[in-house]
Amino acid sequence: MRIIALVKYVPDSGDEVGFEADLSLGRVGPSSRLSELDEYAVEQALRLRTELAGATLTVLSVGPAEAESALRKALQMGADDAVLVTDEAIAGSDVFGTATVLSAAIRSLEGGLVVAGMSSTDAGLGVVPALLADSLCWPLLSQAAAVSVEAGLAKIARVDETGSRVVEAALPAVVSVTDQSGEPRYPSFKDVLAAKKKSVATLTLADLGVDASAVGVGSARVEVLAVGRNPDRAAGRVIVDVDGSSVDEIVDFLAAATK
Amino acid sequence: MKVLLFVIAVAVSIAAVALFVRGALTLYRLIGAGQPSPGRLGPVGKRLGNMVTEILSHRRFRARPLVKAAHWVVMVSFILLVPTLAIAYAQVLDPYAELPIIGGWPVWQWLLELFSVGGLVAIVVLFTVRLRHPSEPEDAAGARDWRSRFFGSTRWQGYFVEAVIAAVLVCVLVMHVLTSAVLARYPETAEAGSWVHYPLTFWVGQLFWSLPPVALEIGIVVAATFKILVSMVWLGVVGYATTMSVAWHRFLGVLNVYARRETDGTPALGAAAPMLVDGKAFDIRDLDDLDEDATFGVGKIEEFGWKSLLDFASCTECGRCQDLCPAWNTGKPLSPKLFTLALRDQAAGMEHSLDIFAALKSAGAAGELAAPTRDADLVGGVISPDVLWSCTTCGACVDQCPVDIEHVDHIIDLRRHEVMVKSEFPEEFNGLFGNLETKGNPWGLPPRDRMDWAKGLDFDVPVLGTDVTSADEVDHVLWVGCAGAYDEKGKKTTRAVAELLHLAGVKFAVLGQAETCCGDSARRAGNEATYQGLATENIETFASYGVEKVVVTCAHCLNSIGREYGQLGADYRVEHHTQVLNRLIRDGRLNVVAPPEDERRQITYHDPCYLGRHNGEYDAPRELLASLPEAELVEMEHSGSSSMCCGGGGARMWTEESIGTRINSARMDEAEATGAATVATACPFCAIMLGDAAASRDQAPAVTDVAHLVLAGVKRGLTNPTNEAETES
Repeated sequence: MRIIALVKYVPDSGDEVGFEADLSLGRVGPSSRLSELDEYAVEQALRLRTELAGATLTVLSVGPAEAESALRKALQMGADDAVLVTDEAIAGSDVFGTATVLSAAIRSLEGGLVVAGMSSTDAGLGVVPALLADSLCWPLLSQAAAVSVEAGLAKIARVDETGSRVVEAALPAVVSVTDQSGEPRYPSFKDVLAAKKKSVATLTLADLGVDASAVGVGSARVEVLAVGRNPDRAAGRVIVDVDGSSVDEIVDFLAAATK
Repeated sequence: MKVLLFVIAVAVSIAAVALFVRGALTLYRLIGAGQPSPGRLGPVGKRLGNMVTEILSHRRFRARPLVKAAHWVVMVSFILLVPTLAIAYAQVLDPYAELPIIGGWPVWQWLLELFSVGGLVAIVVLFTVRLRHPSEPEDAAGARDWRSRFFGSTRWQGYFVEAVIAAVLVCVLVMHVLTSAVLARYPETAEAGSWVHYPLTFWVGQLFWSLPPVALEIGIVVAATFKILVSMVWLGVVGYATTMSVAWHRFLGVLNVYARRETDGTPALGAAAPMLVDGKAFDIRDLDDLDEDATFGVGKIEEFGWKSLLDFASCTECGRCQDLCPAWNTGKPLSPKLFTLALRDQAAGMEHSLDIFAALKSAGAAGELAAPTRDADLVGGVISPDVLWSCTTCGACVDQCPVDIEHVDHIIDLRRHEVMVKSEFPEEFNGLFGNLETKGNPWGLPPRDRMDWAKGLDFDVPVLGTDVTSADEVDHVLWVGCAGAYDEKGKKTTRAVAELLHLAGVKFAVLGQAETCCGDSARRAGNEATYQGLATENIETFASYGVEKVVVTCAHCLNSIGREYGQLGADYRVEHHTQVLNRLIRDGRLNVVAPPEDERRQITYHDPCYLGRHNGEYDAPRELLASLPEAELVEMEHSGSSSMCCGGGGARMWTEESIGTRINSARMDEAEATGAATVATACPFCAIMLGDAAASRDQAPAVTDVAHLVLAGVKRGLTNPTNEAETES
């Protein structure tokens, strides 16, 4: 079985947010990298590959040519091979467009289990796994804190504020994992050297048979009209009080602020 | 009768020498099986000269003057007595035999008597020292007795070696007494048996003048035989037990000193030894040359270089390293001595002695394997991973070791294998390595914040590449460092140093966002690849701005840039801020003014390991403190070269300290004990670690960098015109 881990190439969380000319989020910052949350997906996929006899792990990304570095990092962590879908026409796609491209790639790669992170660290919508499952007509096991696969069944534990529940689904399935699923491994230098020999395959929309007009900024269902910076926070006002005499002052301030 | 004794002596000697030769060959084979240790055999002249002076002067014996003197006397007597053993064979047959040429020479005989008696006194001293140190854990539940440096040393071997020396010396003296007695009784030999030839034993010999000469002759023969037998039993036992390094150090210790890392006689501190791959220093810029099966660091015993294996075989089990180890003294499983002994026994394929075994077990230092095979994993199998990761690389062990064992380099070599091949390390390093690789600093903060420390200063700090094009245009390039840019205390120190440079009228610039971490933590955590990635980036940055010398405020940056970048082909002059400030004060460019009388106070100084032991700078910060009129410097129990680490070195800064008590807390106890109001230090890591320890106490001394105290003194002069006038006059 081919396990596919989805990874995204994103600006580092410490970089300043930048925007492209079409106002879509910039992907190439000064220190762009494999999304930290997707490292958890790679880690779980690596673990499952080791546990499942005959399984292989492919990492898949949709993004600019620079995204190869994110795939390289996943290869260093231990993935067997990597596929990058890159095409001018994809630029500016929204989550629907991304899911369309991913599902076509997963079908063509004949994946049997998809492992994704819980959310990207740049746009942070967290809906791609759901849209992808919908597009593939596969079950979705989302927000897994733990995942296991046995006898054709994927089983996850999802922990949220209401408690913990165990959900299972027959393969093929899409699983998204949280940052509680287990710390991603740090590749040893031996692994880094070994990854140099692994290949990153590049596919275009034409290779996947996806109509270019179905994706990209033109077909996005969300249109970004303007972007701007949050105003800097002004210094707050400090009221010093030792005897309770400033109650009126505070009440007036709150009244004015909530008007 | 004499012939029978002679035959017995010769037979025992042949067996003993055979055993000894076999042992020596075994050791030669074991040590020779190690990997290359390039550069450790030459230059011959320099190494020989250093070896002779180091051993004769005993200058690597730190503190303990009584033990030092006693050991020196015993060593000299051992060397002097070798010829007397040779002549003892002749004396079994002819009690009047003496060494050719020098035998009857008064100078030789005086020396012999002096060192025999001196050696006997000395060995009693050493024996007593060993006895007085309890070797058992103090309480039966297995708690360790931290105070004994001999805890875990093989007791019977120490006593055996010392007893043999005592016995041989007694034999020598007995023979002298009897020879003098038998000679002095007859007029024709009276002169040869007088005090001129037997300055000490002649007087004792008088007691035996009443005995018949035959009895005296028999006594000499018996003593000579006994001396041979005792010496040969020693030789045989030592030859049989190749891990009896307390005995072997007489030979191997000498070789180890010859092959020491630094030919200038300084300890193997400062730069970490380069990581060797197939005998060549690893360089991240030459990855294409790397063999596909290349391995990194040391995972199994035969992956150590031969010099490391010689180190292990030379250990005298004296425990000076253990005595000062901050990890051991705070209840961690690492003792540099036990670490060395565990590896020594693994190299020899021998079981541990009971003392070593019990100590390793009770300290939690033993690996999982009861009987590790030769190809066993060292970390996990032979020693516990906690041993490896407890080390702060403070270098006290290396500085203390009288036979020049290079513990820190061994620790780093093992860590390299854990990180670069096995990817096994304390989990906090995941974050550390990720932060260093993606953000270029251990804190994981954005590079764009690197200049935040300069906000609010009332002068501009020029940045190379933006405000200044080349380092030639300024007097100093101030290397801010990660702690100096991101840590709150560190930022304040950077500001203080910048203000002082500005006040002194020094033209300086910084590198701003072009700086990346110096790589010290990565290197000491065993991540040589990440370290070299960072180091080569800085080297390129320095090259592009023509930077050849920098001023740092961090002892770790000082060591990396100044001592380690040279291994990557760079050559920089790095000064610590305490050195620069000291010079500015001496040159009168900064004037420190006293506070009002009631502000006088005691200050204690904590030596950062990477400034003091690793780089030999103990004086500049102390001179700075001495220049403060209000300060009275008081020293802690451990200071200078025997100072105790803050707990933050060796990348320990970034890990939890879950075993034993906290090192920073133990150090703060020492600071508190001085009664000083302030602990001054000169490294941001120390300031953070000690600051943390102080924060958890009600009334701890304030922790501060020396620069703040200097700045306060200088500023007093600026705000108080009277004082200013005084200092200018």
